[in-house]
Amino acid sequence: MAEPAIVLEGVVKRFGEGPSAVDALKGVDMAVYPGEVVGLIGPSGSGKTTLLKCLGAVIEPTAGRITIGGRVTYDHGWKVRDLRALRRDRIGFIFQAPYLISFLDATENVALLPMLAGRADDEARARALEILGVLDVAHRAAARITELSGGEQQRVSIARALVNKPPIILADEPTAPLDSERALGVVRVLRRLAAEYRTAVIVVTHDEKIIPTFERIYRIRDGRTEEIAGEGRVLD
Amino acid sequence: MINLAVRDIRHSLGRYLLTGLGLGLLIGVTLTMAGVYRGMADDAQTLLRSAGADLWVVQQHTLGPFAEPSTLRDDAWRSIRSLPGVAETGNVTFLTMQVASGERRVRVMVAGFEPGRPGEPSYLVAGRPVMRSHYEAIADLQTGFSVGDRIRIRRQDYTVVGLTRRMVTSGGEPMIFIPLKDAQEAQFLKDNEAIRDDRSRLAENPEVNRPGVPGLLEAVGAIQTSNRNVNAVLVRVAPGWAPEQVVESIRSWRQLQAFTRAEMEEILVGTVIERAARQIGLFLVILSVVSVAIVAFILYTMTIGKLKEIAVLKLIGTRNRSIAAMILQEALGLGVIGFVVGRHAAMLWAPAFPRHILLLPEDAVRALVLSLVACTVASLVGIRIALRVDPAEAIGG
Amino acid sequence: MALATRKNLLLGAAALAVIAGAALFAAIKGPFAPVQVSVAAAKQAALKRSVFGIGTVEARLAYAVGPTQAARVLKVRVDHGDAVSAGDALAELDPVDLAERLAGSEAAIAKAKQLLRAAEAQLREAESRNQLALANASRYRELAHKGFVSNELADGRLGEANVTRAGVDAAQATVSAGQRDLERLARERDATARQLRNLRLTAPVDGVVVARLAEPGTTVVAGQAVIRLVDPNSVWVRARIDQARAGGLRIGDRAEIVLRSQQGAPLSGRVARIDIQSDAVTEERLVGIEIEPRPAGLSLGELAEVTIVQPELRDALIVPSAAVKWQNHAAGVWRIDGGRARYHAVKAGAQSLDGQTQILEGLQSGDEVIVHASAQLAEGLRVKSGGRE
Repeated sequence: MAEPAIVLEGVVKRFGEGPSAVDALKGVDMAVYPGEVVGLIGPSGSGKTTLLKCLGAVIEPTAGRITIGGRVTYDHGWKVRDLRALRRDRIGFIFQAPYLISFLDATENVALLPMLAGRADDEARARALEILGVLDVAHRAAARITELSGGEQQRVSIARALVNKPPIILADEPTAPLDSERALGVVRVLRRLAAEYRTAVIVVTHDEKIIPTFERIYRIRDGRTEEIAGEGRVLD
Repeated sequence: MINLAVRDIRHSLGRYLLTGLGLGLLIGVTLTMAGVYRGMADDAQTLLRSAGADLWVVQQHTLGPFAEPSTLRDDAWRSIRSLPGVAETGNVTFLTMQVASGERRVRVMVAGFEPGRPGEPSYLVAGRPVMRSHYEAIADLQTGFSVGDRIRIRRQDYTVVGLTRRMVTSGGEPMIFIPLKDAQEAQFLKDNEAIRDDRSRLAENPEVNRPGVPGLLEAVGAIQTSNRNVNAVLVRVAPGWAPEQVVESIRSWRQLQAFTRAEMEEILVGTVIERAARQIGLFLVILSVVSVAIVAFILYTMTIGKLKEIAVLKLIGTRNRSIAAMILQEALGLGVIGFVVGRHAAMLWAPAFPRHILLLPEDAVRALVLSLVACTVASLVGIRIALRVDPAEAIGG
Repeated sequence: MALATRKNLLLGAAALAVIAGAALFAAIKGPFAPVQVSVAAAKQAALKRSVFGIGTVEARLAYAVGPTQAARVLKVRVDHGDAVSAGDALAELDPVDLAERLAGSEAAIAKAKQLLRAAEAQLREAESRNQLALANASRYRELAHKGFVSNELADGRLGEANVTRAGVDAAQATVSAGQRDLERLARERDATARQLRNLRLTAPVDGVVVARLAEPGTTVVAGQAVIRLVDPNSVWVRARIDQARAGGLRIGDRAEIVLRSQQGAPLSGRVARIDIQSDAVTEERLVGIEIEPRPAGLSLGELAEVTIVQPELRDALIVPSAAVKWQNHAAGVWRIDGGRARYHAVKAGAQSLDGQTQILEGLQSGDEVIVHASAQLAEGLRVKSGGRE
């Protein structure tokens, strides 16, 4: 198999100091490969959110190693100085709610990312339109966010996550508010895009409707993860 | 690169413009207050300049005739006229009083002057100068009188024959100019009842009402009802002489106090306007603080409403710098809108104000700079909040 | 992208419009705007010269009738408003002791007459003695001459004649003294009689009583008026004219008089007298104006406004007086030169009461001068004419 897009080795996250310190992550090992859609499940309080934040280069682990795209980015200290740039270039985020910027239109929301990465305005907009087309919302490209339906908003937010073609996509409960039809639709899209763009997709979820679709699942319990085999149900 | 500030403003344009409008009105009021002060100082200058005098001679040991009461004999001018360097003198009186025209009563400063001499208003906007020795008046536009109106000052009726503009005291009262003798009578002559009262008191006084001296009572009565005083003597200095030289000789040799026009301006601005200036200064400070507070609050509100979006922006890679710039630009935009609205509002409502408001371009520039600085300071609140937002807040929740 | 640019263009245009508006505002209304003025052309026209002053209605001939010594008023025969003729009794003052003094004078005169008669008798006696002595003296002289009597005796008789001569002289002197005394007493009596007559106040001329100043019982001092009379034909207006404007006044100039009590009905008159003595304190000339025709019922002391009309100046070059500025008794006007205000010195002549001033030198007919301005003019100030008046 190809190189993993992201590898975590022995990642520990401790909050606080001294006797009252809490270890939210007690040594997490994970590996996700390009083109994969992997599930991350676990009860609340299990450290799921903390793990997501570490994956998203938003918080700094206390110990362990993180390798992204073959390059060690964390080894008991961030080697990459600019977390922000890391997030910008390497990681796409899909949130529970679309979290689109309300004062930008659909195209701008998506085009913002390539612009932040330094692309020229027209190129960024072209790429945005392209990815919006892939997600079937190009016809709403100029619409204001408030004018979009929930589903359209989510598709725009997915487009935003993808526009820079990041090697990793983190999705945090993307299907929580949706019915099963739509939820599966989202998974379908994720799978398609993962395959097409060779992106590693990690989906944090507790939605029973989509868990069966994952081939591999990481379950986190009490700050530790274990890999379990998923059903890998096929969707048409 | 998308300009986030522009997008955000356009998204909530109505609220933004309304805020700008409100801020603009505040700034307009601030500018107006500053304009009132400038107007007062300008009125003082105009009054002094149009009197056409290089020197003002007043009673010794006073700062008169505006800051303090000053009384001189009306023949004091003779001893001043003979001093070297004096080209021309003019007696003047000033008295603030009510004058009536029909049903209207107006509070004015009645000035007595001698035609052709310093003290006569130097330019008219309508009508003609006073040509008769009595009972004609020149009124300022601000009194609301027109040429041909009959007005009543004390016990006489006067015809308004000419109008002036901007002849206003630093207290805001418009001026009316009448011949000196009429003004002397108006200033010191009492009404009929008081005169009768005085006469009967005199008649009861055995010192004055003596049988052996016929005519004494009438003579004393005549002295009581005549007035030979003025409030100041205006002096025009001969060409080639410096006012300061002549002032010194008047002070040293004539037991009178004299001021150059520059000193009079200082007195007017320093003593007469001083209290008003302090009040206005206080107002300006309060208004500025209020304006900054309002802008800060508005920006705070706008930022708080975007906290999640700011977190998302930071998460997806927006620099802190860009977010701060957005807030700052919005603040500066408010400042610019506020300034423009305020400046125009002040210019629009200034004529309707009862005081003279002078808006100078330099004040406008200062106001713009101050608005921008104030808005920058006000934006610090919002910026601080925005910078402290943790991008991790976008995740989880 | 085109949309964004168009929006930007619109915004930019709006911003420019606002800035332009502000600039225009400043240029028109603000401190940079040129000063608005109005102009008038100097023209040849008639100039009505007249001079204004206020005065009071007075009686030129007024009389204060009173006693020449202290007395008490006994009777006042006339009252306010009565017309009297010359010689009419006005009032009587109490003679007090004057009548007694007059009687005393008469008595003294009678006594003096008696004394004079006695002195004259004495004179006759002295003369007759003298005649006798003289006769004796001459007879004895003859006798002595003939040797019938001694010379001593003759001298003795001569001596006696001398003595009687002296006696005659003395008696003569006594008679003269007595005559003088009589004269003196007669004069004194006349004086007292005149004083007595003076206590009877009579009107010096025909006139009207304007004031009754003392009632019976009041004691008045010498010189105090009891009755004030005026000659109603001498009532006129005494006006005060500023010395500065009184230069061209002539006796006979027509005048228009407006009385305080009749402001809508002006009267006409003419200048009857220009006082030689001016009022130095108020710097006014005192002018007497006769009212012709004199109306009845003039009230003395009433205020009057007087306008004295002087001969009209035909064909004078005139400008509105508002255009003429004075400095140190020198006149000047402001004119517009290339959009800027410039001061020109001129020589000014007469002025009319309705606001026209004659220009003697410095302007030609048709030259425009600045009449009204919306701000103080200064040399070189940018001005904009709003049109001719």
